[in-house]
Amino acid sequence: MRAQKSADLFAPDAPQRTAQAVPLAPVPPHRSAAPAAAPPARCAELWLGVRVLADAEQPHAAQKILPALRRLATLAQRLTPRVALAPPDGLLLEVKGSLHLFGGADGLRGEMDAACAHCGLRGTLALAPTPLAALSAARAGRPLVVLDSAQLIGRLSPLPLTALRWPPGLLDRLACIGVRTIGQALRLPRAGFAHRFGAAQLKDLDRLTGHASDPRERFEGRMRFRRRRELSFELASRTALLGELGPLLGELERFLAARQCGVLTLECRLWHRGRPPSRTVLRLAAPLADAARLAQLLGERLGTLSLPAPVHACELRSGLPVPRGLSSGELWQPGEHGGSAAAGSLELIERLRARLGSEAVHGLACVQDHRPEAAWGATEPGACPGEGSGACRGVASRPLWLLPSPRRLTERGRLPRYRGGLRLASEPERIETGGWDGAEVARDYYIGLDTHGRRLWLFRERNPPHHWYLHGVFG
Amino acid sequence: MGGQCCPQTRPIRYAELHCLSNFTFLRGASHPRDLIAQAAALGYTALALTDECSVSGIVRAHVAAKDLGLKLIVGSELRLACGLKLVALAADRHGYGRLCRLITRARRAAAKGAYHLTRTDLDDLDHCFILWLPGEPPCAAEARWLAQRFPGEVWIAVELLRGGADRERLETLRRIGRETGLPLVAGGDVHMHVRARRRLQDALTAIRHNVPIAQAGARLYPNGERYLRERERLGRLYPRELLDETVSIARRCVFCLDELRYEYPRELVPPGETPGTHLRKLTEEGVRRRWPQGIPPAERAALEHELALIAELGYEPYFLTVHDIVAFARRRGILCQGRGSAANSRVCYCLGVTAVDPQRGAQLMFERFISKERNEPPDIDIDFEHERREEVIQYVYDKYGRERTAIAATVIMYRPRSALRDLGKAFGLDAERCARLAGALQWWDGGNVLTQRLREAGFDPADPVLARLLPLAHELIAFPGFPRHLSQHVGGFVISAGRLDELVPVENAAMAGRTVVQWDKDDLDALGLLKVDLLALGMLTALRKAFELIERFRGTRHALGALPAEDRRVYEMISRADTVGVFQIESRAQMAMLPRLRPKEYYDLVIEVAIVRPGPIQGDMVHPYLRRRQGHEAVSYPSEAVKDVLSRTLGVPIFQEQVMRLAVVAAGFTPGEADQLRRAMGAWKRTGGIGHLRAQLLRGMAARGYSEEFAQRIYQQMMGFADYGFPEAHAASFALLAYDSAWLKCYEPAAFTAALLNSQPMGFYAPAQLVRDARAHGVQVRPVSVSESDWDCTLEPAADGAPALRLGLRLVKGLRSNGAARLLEARRQRAFAGVQDLARRAGLTRGDLEALAAAGALAALSGNRHFAFWDVAGTERPLPLERPAAVAAQAAGADTAQPLPLLTAPTEGQSIVADYASLGLTLGRHPLALLRGALHGAQLRGAGDILRLEQGAWVRVAGIVLMRQRPPAANGVTFLTLEDETGQVNVIVWERVGEQYRRALIDSRLLEVHGRLQREEGVAHLVARRLIDRSALLGKLLTRSRDFH
Repeated sequence: MRAQKSADLFAPDAPQRTAQAVPLAPVPPHRSAAPAAAPPARCAELWLGVRVLADAEQPHAAQKILPALRRLATLAQRLTPRVALAPPDGLLLEVKGSLHLFGGADGLRGEMDAACAHCGLRGTLALAPTPLAALSAARAGRPLVVLDSAQLIGRLSPLPLTALRWPPGLLDRLACIGVRTIGQALRLPRAGFAHRFGAAQLKDLDRLTGHASDPRERFEGRMRFRRRRELSFELASRTALLGELGPLLGELERFLAARQCGVLTLECRLWHRGRPPSRTVLRLAAPLADAARLAQLLGERLGTLSLPAPVHACELRSGLPVPRGLSSGELWQPGEHGGSAAAGSLELIERLRARLGSEAVHGLACVQDHRPEAAWGATEPGACPGEGSGACRGVASRPLWLLPSPRRLTERGRLPRYRGGLRLASEPERIETGGWDGAEVARDYYIGLDTHGRRLWLFRERNPPHHWYLHGVFG
Repeated sequence: MGGQCCPQTRPIRYAELHCLSNFTFLRGASHPRDLIAQAAALGYTALALTDECSVSGIVRAHVAAKDLGLKLIVGSELRLACGLKLVALAADRHGYGRLCRLITRARRAAAKGAYHLTRTDLDDLDHCFILWLPGEPPCAAEARWLAQRFPGEVWIAVELLRGGADRERLETLRRIGRETGLPLVAGGDVHMHVRARRRLQDALTAIRHNVPIAQAGARLYPNGERYLRERERLGRLYPRELLDETVSIARRCVFCLDELRYEYPRELVPPGETPGTHLRKLTEEGVRRRWPQGIPPAERAALEHELALIAELGYEPYFLTVHDIVAFARRRGILCQGRGSAANSRVCYCLGVTAVDPQRGAQLMFERFISKERNEPPDIDIDFEHERREEVIQYVYDKYGRERTAIAATVIMYRPRSALRDLGKAFGLDAERCARLAGALQWWDGGNVLTQRLREAGFDPADPVLARLLPLAHELIAFPGFPRHLSQHVGGFVISAGRLDELVPVENAAMAGRTVVQWDKDDLDALGLLKVDLLALGMLTALRKAFELIERFRGTRHALGALPAEDRRVYEMISRADTVGVFQIESRAQMAMLPRLRPKEYYDLVIEVAIVRPGPIQGDMVHPYLRRRQGHEAVSYPSEAVKDVLSRTLGVPIFQEQVMRLAVVAAGFTPGEADQLRRAMGAWKRTGGIGHLRAQLLRGMAARGYSEEFAQRIYQQMMGFADYGFPEAHAASFALLAYDSAWLKCYEPAAFTAALLNSQPMGFYAPAQLVRDARAHGVQVRPVSVSESDWDCTLEPAADGAPALRLGLRLVKGLRSNGAARLLEARRQRAFAGVQDLARRAGLTRGDLEALAAAGALAALSGNRHFAFWDVAGTERPLPLERPAAVAAQAAGADTAQPLPLLTAPTEGQSIVADYASLGLTLGRHPLALLRGALHGAQLRGAGDILRLEQGAWVRVAGIVLMRQRPPAANGVTFLTLEDETGQVNVIVWERVGEQYRRALIDSRLLEVHGRLQREEGVAHLVARRLIDRSALLGKLLTRSRDFH
């Protein structure tokens, strides 16, 4: 539509539009199958710049982008040893040496696209003789392929300056003098530019065009432990399986020791023929690296795991290693004179959890709420009780044992009965609250004595039909 | 239950002595009126309103209690810094004064909204009864201290709220009572009038603590017992003697707010004179000045009548106070003008409070504000130049002292927006959802939360959270409003003869150095306290500035109210609706009326000012008046008496005074009753009728022989006035300013526009429209320039000797005034050689320089904006020790030594964007001129073309949205003003169309409208059928519509 075009009249980035004319790829796709046909690169180095975007369809994609980028970097190490991260969204590969191995520029790009897809990312790729040029082109969303240093400046010129990720204030100031593209910036007098916009930015422009060196820190490999071991024969015995896991756990211990880390989660997979693998996940209360302890905990877990078929392979996958608070060993055993109970109870919690499942063990905390059933909550074991919500109120006469839900009582002559008549032994305590979450209560609580003299906690509903309920028992 | 069933034959009597209203902000959940009504309905002997360290709600309670015949006790709940909590009840007038002083001291010692009290602060408190509010557990030492400090005046408040240990608590307090010898009394710690307000009270608590309700925990009350409980219920809970004690305390509290006697300041009367003689002296001086040839007998008689009435009611000091303030402003050369019927009295005319000649202004109803029966004080509003009102305020503070002067409060009530925002937070909605929920009620939606709105905003109307939240929102929004905090009134000053803080507590306002009383305007009215409204009016500033500009350029001096009167050209201009910038008659509704009404004289302007108001429009007075004025309809009166009242408006009541006067002459009301009628009219919408007054009105008219039909019509018209009736007394003063500003626009357009620009922000139009209008009237407008412009806009001689308007540096966004001052000082020494020279000699910051570059003000030194920014970016500030000579040498070199960069020139579009962003206006082409090609392509017409089309023509037009209006009286109709390079077009959007294209209507900066042209007596409107948001075409262009409602 013509109207759309005229919007450019007021648009500050009008000159950029013309940049659409830049050819997207110099090499026609059908020729990429023949690596020999790719034109030789006329430059000392050739960088593949990748700008990744999270796949918008995945939930919380934005937060996961950095881990995904690291996964991508790991995959990219297959293509070249020189891989560098350019956070938050970039990756650089020096590919001059590997160009011919992967079918030229197109072949490489194909490999990289596949790797991106594997990591749940969408990537924009650009090839250029300098890392900053490759990265900037990718960040500008232009899949440039520049194999010749002599062409570099000409091809970079139409790119918007925003691709350099300079501070927004600086870009605004450049926009004020009508400079919005890399080419316009490169035309400014060097001294005048440095004086006004900073020597660092001039250096950036030099790196961009290859007039200054641009060393990049090499990416180092994987961070998580993941090993699989094929068994020499199929096993159904849990003890035997635990024995087979031993070497893997030893490897894990060494892996973690090298990083001075421990794990908080450890997944064990047991592979069956023709069936999906059985899996169990250990969740630990504190970072752990000790193979013996892990074996012990895994043993507890395997004891409760039902195996549908014999196992032919096992695999350990660790969660992200976390730094371990290293401490010197204790002189005293827990429970002994001078020994702290904390480590011991932590161990107990871990064993209970390993045996009963993580959800079955939790701590207790007071919650400030007038409704008795809402006045407590489950916490992670080990968390300090009463933390956060403030100390528990000294509430008058609350029973230690609260029924999971109030039990309706029969009544006779407006008085409640529970295995016989009940006698009210207190004045009413009125609780009316909770209008905000749909669990509103309006009750008068009493202490009642049953025929055995037991003290019960009762209430009568304030609203018709005014039923009586038993809500707790005093100790 | 069983047990305490011994029947007491004597009925239970009870007075609640501890009760908070919603004027204990975010604690109390009921309005004072509801508390009083409920207490009366329950047969309480009395009710003490004891808001926390406040008496803000007491007047409302007092008025309600008087109506219902319930005894009201004034008190306050106080929490000391040490934790001691008590209620103080005023026993008598003296005790009330002491309580007010205590509250004042506590409030003044803390930031706005808070208070601070220590035990020593209680030293001055006497003639009050103290109820000790024991903590949990009760601390006997507090009781002992109180017993010793206030012997015989302290009770232990026993508040049994079914906490589960009421009996135990009663026993503990009884024991303390025996130990200390203090008697016990029952109390309710009331926070709401009925139990049903509990949920609201919970929500308020959460809002007060700024946490979601779900996390408010123990800060909420465990149950809803803090309401006004039935006496029988109390009888089952409390021992009888504790209930009886409440009644005996109530009986000993004899103070009533009616006892407050206000005394006017006395110092304005010279020794040897009385207020009466002094006022007469000043008035007679005025008579000689106003009527040098001698006062006509009719005027003399009227003057004597006024003076007699003033003397009878003892209002002389009030008039003397107003005179004193006005005289001060005159001495300082600050333009001011009074308004209101008292202001337009002959006395005020003589005192110089107003320039409206009462003869010219027709018979204004002096009785309106001075009512013999109601004994209310007269009310005079004085407008001052908005930029110099502060000088007047400081004068008042100096003259009467801070302990005698304070500003009236304004009670800020919950609005739909704030209610939803606060409740949303309390219900745990995140900030984004809160904003969306509050936003779902755009400003013009009124109070109704519609399910459709919610759905539009992405909410499920059936969402249980909303289902719980919305009823509470309704409670907050419903009449008579739910107070949220106190703020200061725009300009209502309370001045007293003695200490003000013994009359009403005074607290800190948000503005440093300002104090407000705890009562608002209505409260002060109800108690008959003097208030002078010192208001700020932008037009007065603009007029003074225009007079000064003209004097500097031409040497002629003009003065307010003294411009050549009744000039034909001025009225012709007004009749063409050529009134951009003219006071009061510049709005589009006014502009639509002007060509129909065609004002020919001053009094027409008075009518014009008053008629384009929701009152006359809703009362359907406009069309009958126009028809009669144009001779299409005969003017008739049912009686001579009515003719007397309505003849000057052709038989159609237009002013509030006329309505009241009609009630007097046609229905036999006394002036006092008529005044009551006015108040009832103001509130009928919210209170649902004017009750017995309606019957009295109709009966009175029937008795005087008026037809049923006439009576009904008058009644309907009165209802139409409701909130919005405009008093003739105000219109008369405003019309003077309208005439003066119109005269200036007609004869001195350059000076007038410059003055308006120099007085911004004010008025209806933004600088862009003012400048465009001036240029359309042939004024040459010159751009902002560092080598020519002053801070203000100025006049420069153009080639033909006429004044040209030079835009001032004040328009430059981001340029600070002190930087500009240094720039002007440096320029006076010599002209700037370049940007570097400017930067160094004026010591401008980078921010100032960039602001100038962005405004295009450096064009003379650098060329286009790109070069200006390049130069600015290259400047360096001198180091502190550099020698000026060296600096100058370096500066001279620096500007030339560096190579010029290759910079592209900004495009026209970019320049326009930059003009708007920095100055808010452009002297270049209208932005739409650049888009015209595209707009033509889309078959859109220019606004200028449209006005030439036929009635009923189908039109498509696009323009920048200048204004949106949704007048409350217009039944959901939105009025838009669109502008393109050819002119402006007014668009009417009916409610249904507005609903259909709601987003486009609200959000568009550039709007395309399809609709039919409607012509009526020279006024053309486009009635919209379809709206399309075209803002994308504008790119980064910053335009902002002014939205009114």
